[in-house]
Amino acid sequence: MREIIVHELTQATQELVREFARFLPRLMVMLIVVLVGWMIAFLVKAILRSFLRLIKFDKLSEGAGASQLLSKAALPSSTELVSRFAFWTAWLGFILVGVSALGILGMQEYVTRFFVFLPRLLVALIFLFIGLLAASFFSRAALLWAVNTDMPSPRLLSSAARVLITVFTASAVFEELGLADSTMLFAFAIVMGAVMLGLAIAFGLGGQDLAKRFLEARFAPEKKEGKEREDELSPL
Amino acid sequence: MPQDQLWYKDAIIYQVHVRTFYDTNADGIGDFGGLAQKLDYLQELGVNAIWLMPFFPSPLRDDGYDIAEYTSVHASYGNLDDFKTFLKAAHERGIRVIVELVLNHTSDQHPWFQESRKSRDNPKRGWYVWSDTDTRYQGVRIIFVDTELSNWAWDPVSKEYYWHRFFSHQPDLNYDNPAVREEMWNVVKFWVELGVDGFRLDAVPYLVEREGTSCENLPETHAVLKELRAKLDQHYPGKMLLAEANQWPADLRAYFGDGDEFHMAFHFPLMPRMFMGLKLEDRKPITEILKQTPSIPPPCQWCLFLRNHDELTLEMVTDVERDYMYDQYARDKHMRINVGIRRRLAPLLDNDRRRIELMNGLLLSLPGTPIIYYGDEIGMGDNIYLGDRNGVRTPMQWDGGWNGGFSAADPESLYSPLMLNPVYGFQAVNVQSQKRFDHSLLSWMKRIIKVRKSTPVFGRGSIEFLYPANHRILAYVRQLDKESILVVNNLSSTAQAVELDLRQFKGKILIEMFGRNIFPRVGELPYLLTLGPYQFYWFRLRKI
Amino acid sequence: MAEESILTDEFLRQLIDVGEADVLVGVPTYNNAATVGHVVQTIRAGLLKYFPRERAVIVNADGGSRDETANLVRGASINDLQHSTDLNALRTLHSISAEYAGGPATGTALRTILASAELLRVSACAVVSPESTTIGPEWIERLLRPVYQGNFDFVTPLYRRHKFDGLLMRNLVYPMTRAFYGRRVREPYASEFSFSGSLASHFLAQDIWVHEVGHTGTEIALTMSAITGGFRLAQSFLGVKPHLDARSADLVAAMRQTVGALFWSLEPNFSLWSSIRDSQPVPTVGGEQEVTLEPLRVNRKRLFDMFRSGVAELEPVLKSILSPPTLAELQRIATLAEEDDFCYGDELWARTVYEFAASYHKAVISRDHIIQALAPLYRGRAFTFLVENREASGEQVEQNVENFCLTCERLKASLLELWNGKK
Repeated sequence: MREIIVHELTQATQELVREFARFLPRLMVMLIVVLVGWMIAFLVKAILRSFLRLIKFDKLSEGAGASQLLSKAALPSSTELVSRFAFWTAWLGFILVGVSALGILGMQEYVTRFFVFLPRLLVALIFLFIGLLAASFFSRAALLWAVNTDMPSPRLLSSAARVLITVFTASAVFEELGLADSTMLFAFAIVMGAVMLGLAIAFGLGGQDLAKRFLEARFAPEKKEGKEREDELSPL
Repeated sequence: MPQDQLWYKDAIIYQVHVRTFYDTNADGIGDFGGLAQKLDYLQELGVNAIWLMPFFPSPLRDDGYDIAEYTSVHASYGNLDDFKTFLKAAHERGIRVIVELVLNHTSDQHPWFQESRKSRDNPKRGWYVWSDTDTRYQGVRIIFVDTELSNWAWDPVSKEYYWHRFFSHQPDLNYDNPAVREEMWNVVKFWVELGVDGFRLDAVPYLVEREGTSCENLPETHAVLKELRAKLDQHYPGKMLLAEANQWPADLRAYFGDGDEFHMAFHFPLMPRMFMGLKLEDRKPITEILKQTPSIPPPCQWCLFLRNHDELTLEMVTDVERDYMYDQYARDKHMRINVGIRRRLAPLLDNDRRRIELMNGLLLSLPGTPIIYYGDEIGMGDNIYLGDRNGVRTPMQWDGGWNGGFSAADPESLYSPLMLNPVYGFQAVNVQSQKRFDHSLLSWMKRIIKVRKSTPVFGRGSIEFLYPANHRILAYVRQLDKESILVVNNLSSTAQAVELDLRQFKGKILIEMFGRNIFPRVGELPYLLTLGPYQFYWFRLRKI
Repeated sequence: MAEESILTDEFLRQLIDVGEADVLVGVPTYNNAATVGHVVQTIRAGLLKYFPRERAVIVNADGGSRDETANLVRGASINDLQHSTDLNALRTLHSISAEYAGGPATGTALRTILASAELLRVSACAVVSPESTTIGPEWIERLLRPVYQGNFDFVTPLYRRHKFDGLLMRNLVYPMTRAFYGRRVREPYASEFSFSGSLASHFLAQDIWVHEVGHTGTEIALTMSAITGGFRLAQSFLGVKPHLDARSADLVAAMRQTVGALFWSLEPNFSLWSSIRDSQPVPTVGGEQEVTLEPLRVNRKRLFDMFRSGVAELEPVLKSILSPPTLAELQRIATLAEEDDFCYGDELWARTVYEFAASYHKAVISRDHIIQALAPLYRGRAFTFLVENREASGEQVEQNVENFCLTCERLKASLLELWNGKK
């Protein structure tokens, strides 16, 4: 009995030791892979950063108003952001490769999924980035346009533009990520409807003046013309 | 002589003063003997008519246009027999002779005027225009503005004013008087009987005076001239009358009548515009004046010239144009006289061979009969420091020797000093040296005259302007019956490209008339030509 | 070469026919049939009267007009084909028209005219607006003569204009151009001006044509180029300033063309303007700027309302452009009652513009948005100008403008600080 127990124990211990001995090199491989991955990722980050600096990526994104957006979101500069993203993506990839080297069952599948998912994630992130940029840009453009053409409620118009573009962006991002297609469609429809209703109410309340002016222009054009002429100062 | 009634249409006229050409008796003045001797030179040059400036007895206060006797020869130039000999020799060489007929006025030394001024009741009193006041014909312009103050001059002998449109020593004849008209017909008859082929009628617009008019171009004047022409045609057919009337083309037109007045008339307004077009590098002045030129009866012909014994007259241009011409061609005040520029062709064109050739090319290809002023065929210069217009009347330069080969007399005794400067002097510019080289101006002139004479198109054909968008190119088509000639001139000092619309000649080939080389066939597309500075082409358009 | 690619083959052929010319008058058009006929006929009369001997050409750069514009321009030609004796012209006058590609753009039109001037090797070139109905033949002489014979390279006009006309010019473009570049050019952005062949070549060779300023506001870029390139400037008095049509009354467009181009020019010329401290007068030919005073009804209230709503609504935008004290001051005055208390003073306005210029340089947001955001503030300034000068005489108005210019010159150092500093 004792022998059996001892034997089993010994065997188990031996097994464990053997397993461990078998596992140890894998672990080491994993650690090496992770380490080398970190180095490679760091290298990639450094190269990318200097490349982006070389092509003055910051300036480009500044022109597009992206920097403003980033600073608003308390994010680092766009060069830093992109290179950091590259670093983490690369390193994460290596960590996953390393983990798969451990030979843990099922892990392999997750790693493969991760690599399949990675480009989609990337595209989704780009969508998100561009979408937020566009939302910021167009909302400001709408605001300025409204102010300079003496439209009522410029802020509301601006916000409406922002919400609209953000919602579009979000739907595109979720679509790309393949998350809950139909749910998103419903959600989008609901948000859209809400926005439109909001706009309608907003215009109804805030647009009284506009409507009045429009009607005046329509039915009392002479009066308006007189007003316009008064204003006719050539700026140049 | 060939008996073509329209001979003047094909003529190339050489204008010369007998005094200036060649002196055979060493008195310092050219003579008919000399002119006769040099006929071979003229024949070689290719001219087929000579226009002799006044050679009649005269006090010579207006280059012989102040005539003291109409039917004789000034003693300095020989006698009537010398003239006849010359005339015969000219005709033998196929060269016709045109003499001057100064109808408007005589010299105050003419016996007629001497008679007329003797007393108010002299029979010849009515031969001139007398008046007891100088207020008649107010407003009539004065032609020699530099020397004359009035058209009336006081005669201290008969205590009356006499009328003169030119110098005060040139009293105007009274053409209201039938006796005057009869006497002038006798003068014409005299020269025609001798054998001259035509007359150049001086100052024709001024024959008759009428109160309240400009006393120019009056119907009465035309009547006098028509009467003369009718008599001439009746008795001596084939003789030519050439009008000197410095007028606008529309006024000039009347001198052709219905083909029953003058055969030819000088185209005065064209000449300054040719120089203007060249300077502006723009064809507009030339095409415009030719467009304004009315058509003339079929037997009639324009007479074209570049320079003559008078100033380059600027009466027939606008003020803007006159100022421009003065500034461009006569910056030195010495170069100006009356309303014009007293310079010869070569100095006017800065002695630029290319421009001289272009201007002669125009002269010989535009519609009309060309006149070459003596000496211009070798590019003689002028002496603007001589008085009046004598600067363009210096002796012909034959060679580089004694007096330029003009005379054996002492240089001091010549009627006019010779050109002496190193550029235009007789040692630099003379016939003998130019005869030696094919590339000389003289040789070139011979060639172009030969080409001109190779076809009657230039003398008799119609003209149609092409208007390429490049305004520096003056292009026209001369046409007679089935023969067509395309002339393209570059008026600018730089190379030019031009596209000509020649669709009406589609299918024809171009043959350059000097070298007779073939140019590409005319197609549907605009015909592209490139021309060097001041270059011109004459193309025969041939259907082959 | 870039300048050749903008000329069509057809236009090039017309230029070959024109050949070398001495003077050129360019007319940029787009559907100007109503007025261009009168303008080109006047140009022709001016050329005939004052430049009868010179080889002249009228070049019309057209943005694709659908009306009779091009034919009206061509109708001013003088040639032997369409003869009229009463003109008394010595020469052929080509009046040619070219349609440039890409639709109406004043910059492209100007470029076409500049390229023509260079190819025709002209000595002097003038540009005249097809809408300048107040033009007289003497304008041609006044524009071209200083260049053609006066050895100047760039001539800007002086006009007789109403004291309330050209407010943007008086309150921003002129003072700022003067403060930046140190030359007192009264009309840096004019509908009429002239330049020498060498300036045309210099300007054509610059690489502005790929930028926005190569399409709009090119005229002011030309002015900057003449100043920064060390060309000889002059001003020439023309006459009554033509009242342009409603298109130019679009404030934002006008600001893009002027302020946008002005701010844009600061970038490449930093080393030049940063060292300029004061300003030099520009030689003037034929009289000074004149001011007319006939009464004019102006809707000041609208200007003020738009200013006030602009400051309120644009707060987030202005925050990123202006410094906190300036913004606070703006917000303070925006709450004041109009007319009586409100005053958008010289100093505050100058500081506003400088901060906008610096923000434009740093591109804190889209540069076009920066220009647009300036428009409502300018309205407030214009309001103050109108109120302050309501009863002012011509001299007083000019003096006020001069004072503002001096303020701008004085405060220029603050821009230099902002320029390189962190926001």
